[in-house]
Amino acid sequence: MVDFGFGLVPSSRINLDLFDKQKYEELASVEPDVRKCMSCGSCTAVCTAGNFVTTSLREAIESIHNGQPGKALEMLGSCQLCGKCAMVCPRGINTRHLILSINKIYGKI
Amino acid sequence: MKNNVLIVGGGPAGLEASSQLQRLGYNVILIERSAALGGHLAKWDRLFPSGVSAQDALKTLLGRIEGVKCFTDTEVQSINRLDKSYNVILSNGITVLADAVLMTTGFDLFEASRKEEYGYGIYNQVMTNADLEAYFRNHSDKRIDNPRRIGFVHCVGSRDEKAGCRSCSKVCCATAVKQAIEMKQAFPEADVFCFYMDLRLFGRHYEDMYLKAQKDYGIRFIRGRVAEVAENADGSLQVKAEDTVASKPLKVSLDLLVLMAGMRPSVSGRRVGELLEVPVEEDGYFSVREGIVSGQRSPLPGIFLAGAATGPKTLPDTLADARAAAVLVDDYLSGIFTEAKHYKNLVRELW
Amino acid sequence: MIPMSFILAAQAAPEVIDRIPSGYNHFVIPFCVGIVFFLIWITVGCIRILLNIPHSDRLRFWKSLVSPVTIYKNLRDLFCDCLFHVKIWKRKPLLGYMHSAIAFGWFMLILLGHIEVALFVPKRLGISRSALFYPIFYRFFVWMNPGHTTLRGWVFFFLMDFFLLYVLSGIALAVFKRFRSLALGMKHTTKPSLADRVALYSLWLIFPMRLLAESFTADLSGGSFLTIPVNHLWHLIFGDKLWIMPSWWCYSICLGLFFAVMPFSRYMHILTEVLWILLRNAGIKPNHPRKGVAEAEIYACSSCGLCLDACPMNVQKKNLKYSSVYFIRFLRRHNERKINDIADKCLMCDKCHALCPVGVDAPALRRAQRATVNESIAYDYSYLGSAVPVHTATEGNAPEVMYFAGCMSHLTPRIIKSVEKVFNAAGVSYVFADEGGGICCGRPLMLAGRNDAAAKTIAANKKMIEESGCRTLVLSCPICFKIFKEEYGLKGVNVVHYTQYFNELIASGRLKPSMGRERLVYHDPCELGRGCNVYYEPRAALSQLATLVKASKEYDESLCCGGSLGSLTLDTRDRAKISETAVSSLMVNNPDKIVTACPLCLKTFSESVANSTHQVSPVRVVDFAEAISESIGN
Repeated sequence: MVDFGFGLVPSSRINLDLFDKQKYEELASVEPDVRKCMSCGSCTAVCTAGNFVTTSLREAIESIHNGQPGKALEMLGSCQLCGKCAMVCPRGINTRHLILSINKIYGKI
Repeated sequence: MKNNVLIVGGGPAGLEASSQLQRLGYNVILIERSAALGGHLAKWDRLFPSGVSAQDALKTLLGRIEGVKCFTDTEVQSINRLDKSYNVILSNGITVLADAVLMTTGFDLFEASRKEEYGYGIYNQVMTNADLEAYFRNHSDKRIDNPRRIGFVHCVGSRDEKAGCRSCSKVCCATAVKQAIEMKQAFPEADVFCFYMDLRLFGRHYEDMYLKAQKDYGIRFIRGRVAEVAENADGSLQVKAEDTVASKPLKVSLDLLVLMAGMRPSVSGRRVGELLEVPVEEDGYFSVREGIVSGQRSPLPGIFLAGAATGPKTLPDTLADARAAAVLVDDYLSGIFTEAKHYKNLVRELW
Repeated sequence: MIPMSFILAAQAAPEVIDRIPSGYNHFVIPFCVGIVFFLIWITVGCIRILLNIPHSDRLRFWKSLVSPVTIYKNLRDLFCDCLFHVKIWKRKPLLGYMHSAIAFGWFMLILLGHIEVALFVPKRLGISRSALFYPIFYRFFVWMNPGHTTLRGWVFFFLMDFFLLYVLSGIALAVFKRFRSLALGMKHTTKPSLADRVALYSLWLIFPMRLLAESFTADLSGGSFLTIPVNHLWHLIFGDKLWIMPSWWCYSICLGLFFAVMPFSRYMHILTEVLWILLRNAGIKPNHPRKGVAEAEIYACSSCGLCLDACPMNVQKKNLKYSSVYFIRFLRRHNERKINDIADKCLMCDKCHALCPVGVDAPALRRAQRATVNESIAYDYSYLGSAVPVHTATEGNAPEVMYFAGCMSHLTPRIIKSVEKVFNAAGVSYVFADEGGGICCGRPLMLAGRNDAAAKTIAANKKMIEESGCRTLVLSCPICFKIFKEEYGLKGVNVVHYTQYFNELIASGRLKPSMGRERLVYHDPCELGRGCNVYYEPRAALSQLATLVKASKEYDESLCCGGSLGSLTLDTRDRAKISETAVSSLMVNNPDKIVTACPLCLKTFSESVANSTHQVSPVRVVDFAEAISESIGN
């Protein structure tokens, strides 16, 4: 394999090669709703914890797709499971179970 | 013998189809349940993308329907299928023997109060796209008092499973951009924000309108769905969304919030559909036969569909749909009625 | 015992003569084997359970056994729940009769049998070789001295026959129920396991066998209105050749079989229930879904299946498998995957608990099960430390009440607007604690089995309330209300739900609603009704402004709206089905409005009504505060 040009290590660029398909499929099998997000940001807008710290379920889902599950876990650590996001989600995603499932699947090292 | 064609619904689709069929030599009966013809178009002020007057457009459409028998304040009471035609009893007591029925029943605007978190009907400063058009026409609305900060919420009741509507209403993005420009014209000092999930500005000149909104009017487009609206102590609104481009939750105080209520299948159209047993799809709109190839035929012989009865459409889409339906009606009727003896076989073959 | 021996001594000739001096016959062996096995099993089980509960709880348990209050509660519950099955009587009288006939009837037969032995052949009781089986087979071993039957003897004969008939009538109903369950008011019944079947059939056979055995010996050992005529009948049919020994053998085998299978069958509940009631009344809560108290609880479940009809999820037959009875069955079987599946699905509406004849708190077990999985999830609530309370007390300026809307209510602005309007109309000075958004009450975390995390949000809210100096805390969300009441331990703060507070405002004349002509139906939110036992106040207040009509299911039988935060995995379609059912239950008397007192119910019902009907004017769903505020004008 040939490398072209220069690069900083670690690169700040999202590296889709790091996406862990197997784990993602595991997540999707326990909570298929993870595939339904259309990134509207409603969950982030209403988030109770989001009043205090930067947290976003939308971003967490994107982070997982982008091969950065650590970032997702960090974001969801502040979640209080209050369920407001589930109430506003236009796609009807079962957000609370999704959050628990992300924690369960990506949380185990 | 002139064939009777019954058209249910006197909006743009109904009007355009009537004039076309009339010209093709049919005896057209147009019924409309409200007092005036024109449907939603009659309530609108100006039309995107160029801002032509809705009333002028309606006048043009009305000018073409000479000879069409119009019954306003009239609904379908019952329909019976005969061998080759439909026996329709209208609420005004008239019975029509229709050889073809064209459903141009249109849409209803989504009831914005159903999205309670936006506070329509609860907060004083929240209105809908239709309310705003009414304001543009009569220049009075107690909710509009020289607003300094105005927000437009796209996709209210569209693309929302909670509101029972998964699909896009197609026209709201363009309407929002148009209305945002108009508000900016009316209140040049105001800051205008559009909250969108995806901007769907697909038609000819729509992008120009968008560019104008950005360049000439400084309208701020924020990619994020509004999800919570609260009232400040001074009566202004506090709106919460996420700026998904910046990946940050945001809040903004507004003097006016305009909800872009989407399209829902017409309730009264559905009622007529039930009388006829026209099949309906999961989204509530009538299903069409052979989808793409002939989108104006229903699965039932002699029943045609045009306009928003088969899903959200813009005005030009609707008019084109109505003309297409007129051609198909003509095709069908001229096929059947040349050889009256074998009409039963023909009905089957032609369909 | 002294007066009794005095009476016995006073008699001229003995009324009862020991027919078999050894007091033993081989036929008792099957029974003895069964009962000994059973007794060992249950003793070991009890010791295990008691060893498994934490030391402090154990201490509490022993103390409760001597405290007069709990003694009274225990006696009441043991009689009402174990013997008389009052809870089943209340809902399904015929089913209640069936259960109490078998339980109470059998209990009386055993009790009276022992009294008889104590009275007539006292030497066979106490520490003797035959004490185990003699009272059970008493009629086999004795011979009535003809002509010496006293009134006392006659009464016993009568009572024994009466209770035997009573039990037999219960058994007859049970057999009938097995084939025609709907007749007894049960739509769904549980599927019995193999052990259940063996135990069931032997239970069915015990009492007919007893009748057979006792009637064969009735002319020797006496009988009454049931056994004597049957005895005559046998003589008529068989002449003098009665099948005495085979029938007593059969009776003994049935009993032995039943006791031997009992630990593996649902009938274990008959005795475990006693232990569970004692533990429950001692106030001990399960902290593990299977160990300690929970073990007593899951074996106290009788698998009667009343929870099947109770569960709101069961509007769809495919969800029957998530009912509490199956949850408990899988807990017994240690089927980990299924247990988690079922635990996560539940709406936590608590209806199965409210309706359970044994009071098994299955939702608590499900929460404990969720905790085994979710408790370990990492969280970081350090940001709660930076939360700033909106109102801090300074001398004497504390407002009358603090209003806490909760997370959900921020998405239902009509609740907040209406509550504020009512406060203003009644001249209540208030502070809106979470106007700009607050911290979650912690209940949703607890429902997901994350008690540690919940404790953190509870602590943060508690600090905020205590520092505010307010003495009355008004909540509009029942989810918050339940946890604020039960877990916060706010000293000196009166925690009330707005239905209670507004009702008080009306009663004290501070709020004067005007009577309208509308017909309302009130929906009991799960967390408010079953959760906090608030049924009266909302109805009292609403009846001041409109006519209240009934729903087909209300009070503790009220149906979950389907929007509950309790379920972790139930999908939107299934939820919509539940909502539809709940709405149609509310609509039976065609009210003009549905009134509820929970933001989640409000939103769920509004969406359900709007999405399911395409009527021009569907019923309006309003919040309790909205109904009140509309009735007080502007």
